Amino acid sequence: MSTEETLVLELKNKATQARAFEVLVNTYKERLYWHIRRIVMNHDDADDVLQNTFIKIFRSIDGFKGESKLYSWIYRIGTNEALTFLKQKSRKLGVSNEELQETMIENLQSDVYFEGEEIQLKLQKALAKLPEKQKLVFNMKYFQEMKYEEISDVLETSVGGLKASYHLAVKKIESYLTDAD
Amino acid sequence: MNKDHENKFKTPEGYFESFNERLFARLESEEGEPNTDFLPETDGFSIPKGYLERVYPEVQSKLENGNNKVVSLNRYSTFYYAAAAIAVLFALALGWNWNQSPDLSFEDLASADIETYFEHNAFGLSSYEIAETVNLDDISITDITEKSLQEESILEYLDENVEDLEDLDLNYEELDY
Repeated sequence: MSTEETLVLELKNKATQARAFEVLVNTYKERLYWHIRRIVMNHDDADDVLQNTFIKIFRSIDGFKGESKLYSWIYRIGTNEALTFLKQKSRKLGVSNEELQETMIENLQSDVYFEGEEIQLKLQKALAKLPEKQKLVFNMKYFQEMKYEEISDVLETSVGGLKASYHLAVKKIESYLTDAD
Repeated sequence: MNKDHENKFKTPEGYFESFNERLFARLESEEGEPNTDFLPETDGFSIPKGYLERVYPEVQSKLENGNNKVVSLNRYSTFYYAAAAIAVLFALALGWNWNQSPDLSFEDLASADIETYFEHNAFGLSSYEIAETVNLDDISITDITEKSLQEESILEYLDENVEDLEDLDLNYEELDY
């Protein structure tokens, strides 16, 4: 039995659940944090979404049937939580998703937890102009260095489609950065 | 079809089904990974010192607080009786009014009104929460398979809701190289 399968069994067993959950959080917190942070941009928001993601995982573990890998399931919940968070935020503020993205980038410039220089800021502006899925694929491939097969499991999209998305995203970013110079 | 014009060509079994995969594989082998030399190596985001060490205790604390949120209902029993009495009075008053006006049903609502309602009264539920709540017993697979959609409705939906053709998994058509 794999380590992952053992962990899932322990998570479903009340006697071993607490310890297994600590192992799960400590194993995935950093990767999941960066994945969420790149979607919501702000640290405090990323912290909220990350905690909610783990709480949801804990409460839904009995529903995990093992049809996909545990990390794909966890990433999928994290992605949905982060995207839902942004949708709720834009609704609360009464702005469109595009307007929210612009505000998020403006806020980055005064964010104490953003140490990027001009090129990083430009990259975020370029990313904000991409369709949601292309942005996700780009971040997962370029910054998180995930394999196409892993991204495919998380986003439930064919590897071929992901390759095309990544190529298009890089081309669009290149064109944006070149034009912005 | 006129027999003389009948297509005599054949393709290997599964040719079209596997076409996309083969096309992308070739694109990758010819172009490889796209050039990313112009991109910065880091994205500039940072985190507060010691943040990751605090994640588990904070999640644990939230889970414990969440479980303790259940408050005894007995403390509010007096209010419940009062609220129940008011609710009964309201129900009677509304029932009396309904008898004097034509019956309204869900079908009387315009789709636009329903859409506007959801637009302005978001429940804030994620897809997971909806999936947990929706009762699937009343839904049959035939609800989907046996109801045919008008082509016009499909095109209208796609026209209004699909911003990017890529969402349709037709990525190969967008490639310009």
